[in-house]
Amino acid sequence: MSLRPEASDAELFARLPDEAAREELLIRNKPLADYLARRFSGRGEHAEDLAQVASMALLKSIDRFEPEREVQFSTFATVTIVGELKRHLRDRGWAVRVPRRLQELGLRVGKVVPELAQELRRAPTVPEIAKRTGISEDDVLEAMEASQAYATDSLDAPMSDSDGRLPADALGAEDMRLELMEGWASVAPALERLPAREKRILYLRFFEDRTQTEIAEEIGISQMHVSRLLAQTLSFLREHVGELELP
Amino acid sequence: MSSPPQHVSAQIPARAEFVHVLRSVVASAAAHMNLSVDSIDDLRLSVDEACAQLLKAAPGASMLAVSIARTGLDVQVEVSADGDADPWPPERHDRSLAWQVLSGLSDEVTFERSPSGPAVRLRTHAVLEELER
Repeated sequence: MSLRPEASDAELFARLPDEAAREELLIRNKPLADYLARRFSGRGEHAEDLAQVASMALLKSIDRFEPEREVQFSTFATVTIVGELKRHLRDRGWAVRVPRRLQELGLRVGKVVPELAQELRRAPTVPEIAKRTGISEDDVLEAMEASQAYATDSLDAPMSDSDGRLPADALGAEDMRLELMEGWASVAPALERLPAREKRILYLRFFEDRTQTEIAEEIGISQMHVSRLLAQTLSFLREHVGELELP
Repeated sequence: MSSPPQHVSAQIPARAEFVHVLRSVVASAAAHMNLSVDSIDDLRLSVDEACAQLLKAAPGASMLAVSIARTGLDVQVEVSADGDADPWPPERHDRSLAWQVLSGLSDEVTFERSPSGPAVRLRTHAVLEELER
């Protein structure tokens, strides 16, 4: 189907899921996505990665936009794209400018840990990881440490970001009981602000006494990622202790 | 490599921005004492938590110290401050979030008074299989 070049955005949205209309919307709004991606680069992240994330987010916003709602598409798209970019940076955890060399070491270590855990039926030690990867023990340690690093000053922003939550049905009712437990009640308001995944990790670690390696397997992320999320979450909670003083 | 170290200690100025040094020292010593990566990362989190508690309880402290020692498979970690902490342990400390976190991350935790001042003592363990080194 041909498109009149002067077709308005509203007309194009009305014609969705027509592919040509979708394509035209994508082309028209690509500069917005690129602009937002550039604003997030310079944090040690590859510009192309961010541009790619922004493009995907743009597609998502085109498909989800509801023209009958009185919101400009550009506003809706900006919120969606910024959310996805933040989430990407947070999940990758490289927002603190981890040197390239350490990122690569981290990826290699991250790959070997679950392999060894499966073979040994317990979490591996550093010498075991060093032996398997051929990386020195010091480098393994450094990579682990870098993966646990995070930007302290950006804690509040990503935590309150509603993106990156697990679908509600993936969560057990047990997660809701966290704040009823002794000690944890003092941070109930902060717990409520945690993304579901972080809350679930807390629950598994502190109430079911599961190890980081076990949690990694259950949630489908690396042990290093679990470690980082725990460090981040505990630090966040520590800052919010006492918001709700109990008698 | 010669036999692994059985005791490592370090101290830093009692300021939050130096805590990462203690964290690294403990992690490095723990790795050489053959702890699993899970235990090492738990220790890192514990050191953070313990330091945060000590800095809060002993605002006049000038030093934070850590010592880690292995006996058999048992690994003892002590994080201490050199200032006055009153009260120590903090009131109702066993009902605090810090206590929940610390006891969740280690086999045993106690709040004590070391000769220099308030201390948090943790116990964890190395893995059974020793690697040929």
